[in-house]
Amino acid sequence: MSAAPGTRLLLASVLVVATCGLVYELIAATMASYLLGDSVTQWSLVIGVYLSAMGLGSWLSKFVARDLHARFIAVQLVIAVVGGLSAVALFYGYAYLASVRPLLFSILVIVGTMVGLEIPLLMRIVGDGQELKDTVARVLAFDYVGALLASLLFPLALLPHLGLVRTSLVCGLFNAAVALACAWVFRAQLARPRAVLVQAALVCAALAGGLLLGGRLERLAERELFDAPVIFSEKTAYQRLSITRSGDDIRLYIDGNLQFASSDEHRYHEALVHPALAGVAPRRALVLGGGDGLAVRELLKYPSLERVDLVDLDPGMTRLFGRDPLLVRINRGSLSDPRVRVHNADAMRWLEEHVRTSSEVYDVAVVDLPDPNNFSLGKLYTGSFYRLLRRALAPAGVGVIQATSPYLAPRSFWCVVKTLAAAELHPRPYHAHVPSFGDWGFVLVSPAPRPEPTRLADVPLRFLDDALLPTLFVFPRDQRPPDVDVNRLNDQLLVHYYEEDLRTLPGRGGRG
Amino acid sequence: MKRRGFLGAAAGTVASAACGPGRPPPPVVEFAGPDPERGHHLREGTWREGPVHETIHTEVALVGAGVAGSAAAWRLRRAGLTDVHLFELEDDVGGTARGGELPRSRHPLGAHYLPTPPPGCPALERLLEDLGVILGRDARGRPEYAPSAIAAAPLERHFGRGRWYEGLYPAAGETADEAAQWARWHAHLRALDGRRGADGRPLFAIPVARSSAELRHLDAVSFAAYLDDLGLHSERLRWALDYACRDDYGCTLAQTSAFAGLHHFLARGLEETRGGFILTWPEGNARLVRGMLERADLGDRLHRGAAVVAVDPHAGELRVHRPADGRRLRVHARAILWAAPRFVLGRLLVGADPLPAGALTYAPWLVASVEVRTAPRGIGARLAWDNVPLAGPSLGYVVATHGEPADQRRPGAVLTYYEPLCGDGPAELAAQRRRLLAGDPSSWSDHVVAALAAMHPGIAAEVSHVTVTRWGHAMIRPVPGLLFGETLARARAKIGRLRPCAADVAGLPLFEEAFYQGSSAALAALADLGRSAPDALADELPA
Repeated sequence: MSAAPGTRLLLASVLVVATCGLVYELIAATMASYLLGDSVTQWSLVIGVYLSAMGLGSWLSKFVARDLHARFIAVQLVIAVVGGLSAVALFYGYAYLASVRPLLFSILVIVGTMVGLEIPLLMRIVGDGQELKDTVARVLAFDYVGALLASLLFPLALLPHLGLVRTSLVCGLFNAAVALACAWVFRAQLARPRAVLVQAALVCAALAGGLLLGGRLERLAERELFDAPVIFSEKTAYQRLSITRSGDDIRLYIDGNLQFASSDEHRYHEALVHPALAGVAPRRALVLGGGDGLAVRELLKYPSLERVDLVDLDPGMTRLFGRDPLLVRINRGSLSDPRVRVHNADAMRWLEEHVRTSSEVYDVAVVDLPDPNNFSLGKLYTGSFYRLLRRALAPAGVGVIQATSPYLAPRSFWCVVKTLAAAELHPRPYHAHVPSFGDWGFVLVSPAPRPEPTRLADVPLRFLDDALLPTLFVFPRDQRPPDVDVNRLNDQLLVHYYEEDLRTLPGRGGRG
Repeated sequence: MKRRGFLGAAAGTVASAACGPGRPPPPVVEFAGPDPERGHHLREGTWREGPVHETIHTEVALVGAGVAGSAAAWRLRRAGLTDVHLFELEDDVGGTARGGELPRSRHPLGAHYLPTPPPGCPALERLLEDLGVILGRDARGRPEYAPSAIAAAPLERHFGRGRWYEGLYPAAGETADEAAQWARWHAHLRALDGRRGADGRPLFAIPVARSSAELRHLDAVSFAAYLDDLGLHSERLRWALDYACRDDYGCTLAQTSAFAGLHHFLARGLEETRGGFILTWPEGNARLVRGMLERADLGDRLHRGAAVVAVDPHAGELRVHRPADGRRLRVHARAILWAAPRFVLGRLLVGADPLPAGALTYAPWLVASVEVRTAPRGIGARLAWDNVPLAGPSLGYVVATHGEPADQRRPGAVLTYYEPLCGDGPAELAAQRRRLLAGDPSSWSDHVVAALAAMHPGIAAEVSHVTVTRWGHAMIRPVPGLLFGETLARARAKIGRLRPCAADVAGLPLFEEAFYQGSSAALAALADLGRSAPDALADELPA
């Protein structure tokens, strides 16, 4: 065997192994801080675990006595598969597992151990017939150059252009290509060269296939990815709550869908609450959904208010917004106000129970539920639900319903309006511009017809004033109601409208 | 090879570790529902003779705590009559609307839903109001139903060629001609929808006895022959209509009268335009029966496990045998309401029965509730309330846990499987009945799980509990000629002090028919006793 081409390939392998190895580490660290929050802790943990796994691998290398080439190729293929699929696995693990940490550290330990095992193996293969000092110098030099390459490529080229999923697949493909090339060049040293070549080729093909699907995989996976670092993430019994922070802007996502951004949520919540209360001195209020306590914060600005019943499905949500100091600052502790009672229950069930067992009626009801993207949520937008709501309102009471975006989801918005009309709630649709959502729609409702509100109550407001108020009720020519049917509990047309709206307007943000 | 063997073993170890320790325990399998032994004793007359331990005098004796008997008890109580005794053969009330309970959920053993009544049924609406199913009324006076009782979307899907499709019409792959026939059928229904006859009555009314005379002649022909006359031969269309007949009547298209078939589609108004709902509960219509009996407030005058073994309608006397303790009662009643199946009466009467034996035919049914650890899914349309296979004799399964509110949702589900055992004549029905009663719980459980596995491969490993209910006489069969013929008139004719009033003497096996039979018979009994019911509504007055 001639040493030269083999050695050159091996040194190129060192470069690839080192570069890809560090990229996997960077991917893991990035995802850990995106998904789990607290980036300093995540980065130090990832680096520490990865380096110690490399140490473990180096130590294990002493047990490899024979078949160095075959072992090197096998190690390379393991890295290609585990590292190459790491980002996909982490995204799906995040979406479907209760905790993604065990998966994250398993990947780190496997890849770290293999990379740690690989460099000593390479040294021994390259060093065959060379002086130790030369071998160490050349291999480690390429190793460190690879590290530099990775640390530059990852943030400047790979992450911005390929994203996490395809970056990891590309690196896996490089690892697999090295394995394939080595299998070919060193086929004389292998006990079963053909089997090794086939294995390497299969891994290459699988990763390349993944790369071709990469765009789709990524769109599916990166819905879970946010624009800013995650400072808190919890999977409750019902949903995944994620909170991100960028400077002063704090955002809440439920299952990856934006619920509010602290920079402009005052627009949303002022528009949600105060038009309904123009000319009303509410004593008893009902809030359905709105476990973030922000609608309650607006309600509590009315001194006449004696009691608020807040019904939100998820105790995880109301607990978080009742205790976390950062979030309590945003909702001004509204959920701990003595006037507020929190009920963790299905809104439909709670309301039916209330209507059955209590003669108590509300002066105002605020319905601030997530968009109707499934049947469980869609039933909270049906005629049956609104008929319960009407029964829970005082004869002169008033309510307001968040009704998706009339611009992004027009069929959904007008379906809600039509359903409210069929439920005899005299709907008055209106909308407001909330930068982080876009054009957002609401509907005022009341058991008895009411005039359009013209004067806001004298409460502190940052967005609304009496001049703006009437303009909210004006819809431009391109937002006239489309032809839609009412949403009934037994057909739930709204869920279909919403799915259609989302399909025809890709890339929307919205509240999900 | 060795390595592959090792890898395979390793993968197996990992997989079994992930699925928990070893195989899941085998399912608990048992019978539920009516006890065929008791029916056997009644038929053979083995409990007929014996000493009397106690004598009861009462104004009204009710026999059968199914829908009709419970409705009669409820109606009598509303009219202020409390001196009423109700005798039920089984240990639990409900009749064919019985319910059961598995660890995961309550579930039906039989009848399990009620469509919201069409206009013109104020008495039925009054019941639903009393039971809290109607919460109130809108500005136009239309009832508002409790959302918890409404079957929510997605309602129906069907399984064929390896995947699920929405709805109950197998449209996938239909030809232009088949589509045209489907459209023609709907046009035909639309032309009849909401129409009244020259006598001012609806063509298809609830209760059916109030239907106009105009189209009654359609009861003489079979639904299949009627469709032949319309030139509707599409297999898809006929499957959908055959399914409806088997589901509602336990009869095939050819066994159902055309009037009964059309009644199913038109009596409540066309589904797409009537704006109604389907009302259902985890335990099915047992909820309604229990509601009526609670309000009837019979206390210890409700006798469960009490077999009426002899009836003297002219003397107003019943003999009752309690198999649990062997005690026997003599009951003297001024009026007897026979709300048990009419065919049983013939065997117990002192004297001749004006109705020949075997004049009414009944469909046997197999019903099984299957508790699974994970809810089934499948390719295509998502899990619905009602899930129906295109192939095979079963009607598929209904998900008892479908309507669970979000805050009570847990893993797993209870699926209630329905299979009518259709037969062409008395001999075939008898053979079906023998087959039904011959099987042991595990053979029927295997049958049911195999039918489910045809839709959901691998579901067998998820099954934790199966209860099998055998209904020998589940439904009156509305065969051609029954509804407006002499037989039914004889079946419901008063005998002495006794009025037959279960759904079978109405001719259609529906909750509504049982309810109206029961409440009308109650009003008639009140009249017999010389009592008035000032709040009686037009639709519940005896015809």
